[in-house]
Amino acid sequence: MSLHISELVNEDASLISRRCWSDERVYALEKRGIFGKSWLFLGHESQIKQPGDFVQAYMCETPIILSRGQDGGIYANINSCSHRGLPVCRADHGNTKRFVCPYHNWSYSVEGNLMTIPQETEVVRKPDKSQLGLKRVPRVEAWRGMIFGSFDEAIIPLDDYLGDMRFYLDAFFDRFPQGIEFMGAPHRWVLNANWKLPVENQLGDVNHGAFLHSSIIPKEAQDMIEKLGYSVVTTPGHGATFRLMPEDSPIDEMAWGMEGMGGMFGGDEVQNYLREVQAQAAERVGDLRARMKGLTYGIYPNLSFLWSNTSFKVSHPRGPGKVEYWSWSVVPADAPDSIKKILRTNYSSFFGPAGILEQEDSEVWVQQFIGSNIDFADDRPYYYGLGLGEEKPHAELPGLVSVTANEFYARHFFARWRDELQAVEGMV
Amino acid sequence: MSNQSLATSPEEQRALERFYFHEARLLDNRQYQQWLGLVSEQISYLMPSRVNVQVDNRARGNEDMISVERELEDQESMGCPIREETYIHLMVRVERAYKINSWSENPPARTRRIVGNIELMAREDDSLSVLSNFHLYYARPGNEDVIYSGQRRDTLLSQEEGFHIGRREVVMDYANIAMPTLGLLF
Ligand code: FES
Ligand SMILES: [Fe+2]
Repeated sequence: MSLHISELVNEDASLISRRCWSDERVYALEKRGIFGKSWLFLGHESQIKQPGDFVQAYMCETPIILSRGQDGGIYANINSCSHRGLPVCRADHGNTKRFVCPYHNWSYSVEGNLMTIPQETEVVRKPDKSQLGLKRVPRVEAWRGMIFGSFDEAIIPLDDYLGDMRFYLDAFFDRFPQGIEFMGAPHRWVLNANWKLPVENQLGDVNHGAFLHSSIIPKEAQDMIEKLGYSVVTTPGHGATFRLMPEDSPIDEMAWGMEGMGGMFGGDEVQNYLREVQAQAAERVGDLRARMKGLTYGIYPNLSFLWSNTSFKVSHPRGPGKVEYWSWSVVPADAPDSIKKILRTNYSSFFGPAGILEQEDSEVWVQQFIGSNIDFADDRPYYYGLGLGEEKPHAELPGLVSVTANEFYARHFFARWRDELQAVEGMV
Repeated sequence: MSNQSLATSPEEQRALERFYFHEARLLDNRQYQQWLGLVSEQISYLMPSRVNVQVDNRARGNEDMISVERELEDQESMGCPIREETYIHLMVRVERAYKINSWSENPPARTRRIVGNIELMAREDDSLSVLSNFHLYYARPGNEDVIYSGQRRDTLLSQEEGFHIGRREVVMDYANIAMPTLGLLF
């Protein structure tokens, strides 16, 4: 059967073919047209503070070592030996002077340069080591400590790529005098699902809360979310949902972190800290953003930020039907350790591999992949038309803005996705 | 904790076994409300996350080099444990199991667990440190069947009505988390 991208996503992206989720050929195009051409999230500077520090990362299926060089610079290299291709780094994180390949012990500096070839003393013509370092990720840039890499030498600067999402991300990052910090190694788990559904879910699908999560989220809480909720798309593929709290809301309702398990039951120390953060919010991020209480965020193609439960997530594809989902707990860098430890439970109680809510999300992501594989339903693409054309510019909020039930965040994602696949169609 | 279990009496060992087998049966029979009755309201229910750590060169030649403890990001660490739960969390999980809209449990999983290697490691007044291992078979429609394997590090409180679980730390044996959820009652 021939494959035409134009037949998978219609003009206004209100109809999305099942094959977008399940076809091997679509996935091959995604690797080339999207993962080869976008800024992909690698890690946070708080994870590699000291020279020699490293963490592992992925760009799609390509394993990456993200490290802090002896010169203090940030390096990203493909974790694969130039001799026979083995991974040279096996630990999730650590600090080292050298990565030593197990097979023949070629060794690499933490910046990725090839330092020694044990066998070269025994041969006459010495290999040129300067040409045999680990393959460097050609573009690496950071914004507010968030490090991204791209395989596309010619990609636009990261700042421009993020665009107006910076306004919404800063509403969180800038609340804290020293920004944020990632806690420990990511939780990483494997699901039989397509990578795009976790992304779509965190990009703006607030609306499933009242239904899928009705056994946990009380109806009143969900009604409040929808009443005060906004959904925005800054650039197709990037989006944010949040509540804009009424100006006269009590501080305990307004403050970030209070409604999590750690915030609710963690005691006075943490609650006073959260009130303090909120008390300074207007000064730090302005009146409007001080009233902002985030829900879900998405950065194209596969980075998500769940502000409400303070977690960054990356959806790493492993084929059309498998995803390795990574998530980190994120805490204010200035908070004392005792408070960080309480605040991390705002994430882990409801999200992550044991999360009470996330077990419901991951269940439907897996079930959706089953539906996307069935035969004899190709004439029934998925309906993405809710709220078609109802999004509008807003006086104070950058981007297109609408109610959370409007699925425009997903339509914009798929319109961009379609165009980027079409640009490489026929090349794979 | 010393490395040897305590030389306990056959009666006490039998009492521990009875407790754990009863607990396992309640959980496999989905009688979670009765299970909650075995849990202290002050419980800490913990699951460290498990990472691939860098070998410490200075420890080479020692058992320490590859100790399980080094792989755990637990409650004391500045990493992020997978679970740090209280009685409230467990109550939410138990209540949820009996709601008709708990979609990830509908239809519910079929589980069968074998609990063994029960070792009494230490005793302080009424509080007992007990280790046990489990293998848990898990099957749910629409998911692949999986086996959960792990160790439980318990503090049991010995009270008149019997034992109560005062603290439980579940150390899971996984390299990749390729299971539908780590949110079960282990
Ligand atoms: S494969 Fe790495 S040294 Fe030979
Ligand atoms: Fe959800």
